[in-house]
Amino acid sequence: MKFQIPIGPQHPALKEPISLRMTVEGEIIRDADLRLGYNHRGLEKLAEQKTWIQNIYLTERICGICSHSHTTCYVQGVEKLMEIEPPKRGQYIRYLVSELERVHSHLLWLGVAGHEAGFDSFFMYTWRDREIVMDILETISGNRVHYGINTIGGVRRDLDEQQVKHILDSLAILRERSEYYQHLGTNEPSFVARLAGVGYLSREDAIALCAVGPTVRASGVPMDVRKDDPYGIYGEVPFEVCTADTCDVLGRTVVRIKELFQCYNIIEYLLKNLPSGPVAVRAPRRAKPNEVVSRYEAPRGENIHYIKSNGTDKPERLKVRAPTLGNYAATIKMLKNGFIADVPLIFAAIDPCICCAERAVALVDARSGQERIISMNALKKLSRQVSAGNARKREAEWPL
Amino acid sequence: MKIGAFIPELLRHLFKKPATVDYPFQKLEVPRDFRGSPYLRPELCIVCRACERDCPAEAIEITATNEAEKRFRMVIHNDRCIHCAQCVDSCPTDAMQMDTRFEISDYDRHNLKMEWEYVRAVVKPKSEPKTS
Ligand code: SF4
Ligand code: SF4
Repeated sequence: MKFQIPIGPQHPALKEPISLRMTVEGEIIRDADLRLGYNHRGLEKLAEQKTWIQNIYLTERICGICSHSHTTCYVQGVEKLMEIEPPKRGQYIRYLVSELERVHSHLLWLGVAGHEAGFDSFFMYTWRDREIVMDILETISGNRVHYGINTIGGVRRDLDEQQVKHILDSLAILRERSEYYQHLGTNEPSFVARLAGVGYLSREDAIALCAVGPTVRASGVPMDVRKDDPYGIYGEVPFEVCTADTCDVLGRTVVRIKELFQCYNIIEYLLKNLPSGPVAVRAPRRAKPNEVVSRYEAPRGENIHYIKSNGTDKPERLKVRAPTLGNYAATIKMLKNGFIADVPLIFAAIDPCICCAERAVALVDARSGQERIISMNALKKLSRQVSAGNARKREAEWPL
Repeated sequence: MKIGAFIPELLRHLFKKPATVDYPFQKLEVPRDFRGSPYLRPELCIVCRACERDCPAEAIEITATNEAEKRFRMVIHNDRCIHCAQCVDSCPTDAMQMDTRFEISDYDRHNLKMEWEYVRAVVKPKSEPKTS
């Protein structure tokens, strides 16, 4: 007997407005369908009516958590269109904020994962420690969420000695706390068992469905725009791409914890090698007719902005492909043959940002095909697959 | 693996100071570059309108009240302002400034409006107004 269960757009288990329609047999999800468009704000159209400078603040408001990712992606593109290069110090500060944002986003995600797994004290501690990095961002930029540090041709604020020292000191605390969280995994079997084997996404599927960010890296694919197509200063900064090969939510957690440590290293490198000089160059008000695609590795994955200019002081077209949109197709795959109780966890594991992803109404085709009639044998096979997943669970170990 | 690995951490936190402050009674200090609300120092404004043009929220409105006397009126619609401080960056004479207030909510959005009426100043801009 098949049922269709709608989850969302308003649902206590999902914090953002998205509608999931699941066809279930008992506890097991056989098919899932995503419906988007509840949070469409018409930002791309609005961008066509604003000047290059005004659009920085507009793109910043695409998302609250990766606000810096969107502005950086946009500003990088506009700088290419205007044929200007920000000074080295400006770039270092820009990508320093990028990495701090990644730290804050990953700590936030760890908390959410703890919360969805029913480990609320973990959630409290990670979020308390996230305040440390929020404070750093506040001292650098003046505000906690919308940093407004980017401008076309560089950054708007400089760093002084005191701030550098403050960041380095806070970084030591953050590193120590992250080590504790990493260590916790080995010693807290219930947490690991809850995450292991949930939301399986094989390496082949991850590639075929174009997953991005920690989701694809947790399936063993070392894909990171910072390494594959280095932008800004990433060509000269040493860091590693973190992967895991468990292909499940546990893997995604591990990738993010490992990335935290990489972030700390990058931040330290940037601060120790901060060049002197100006932080910004003057930008022209107009850009010659041209088009550009700008890529950026946001905490959630690859962020793409396509910008077209027509010689005026406004863009002719701005298209945003947020990382969450790239992960939807893979999410459907992960949900299939899982349990209903795992939906929030699987969904949280891609770190969805619905308001990022709702741009022009571009729906992801989530259906695998027509209604299927499952034979008894196929059903048995499926249930064996599920219990195979359980075996993975029983032997689950913290891979760090 | 051991059960209850988190317990020592939990117990330790029983004796720690709370991580939050008692907000309305105790306030945190805002950082140096905090972006509060914009305000005008009319004695410096040369009415180049750079702030009006660059404001992403269209929160600044400059109108001439008397062309002959060079009198102008500037209204900052704080209810629309997104506190980005672009006007401060765009201003060539430091006439636009940010304050550090953050408790600015009100029951009526019209109370948030601020306005100045002034004679255009004659000062030398420290940089060219950003026009082309
Ligand atoms: S702070 Fe930003 S939104 Fe507010 S008046 Fe200035 S430019 Fe406009
Ligand atoms: S940018 Fe400065 S000088 Fe120009 S109109 Fe605005 S406040 Fe006045």
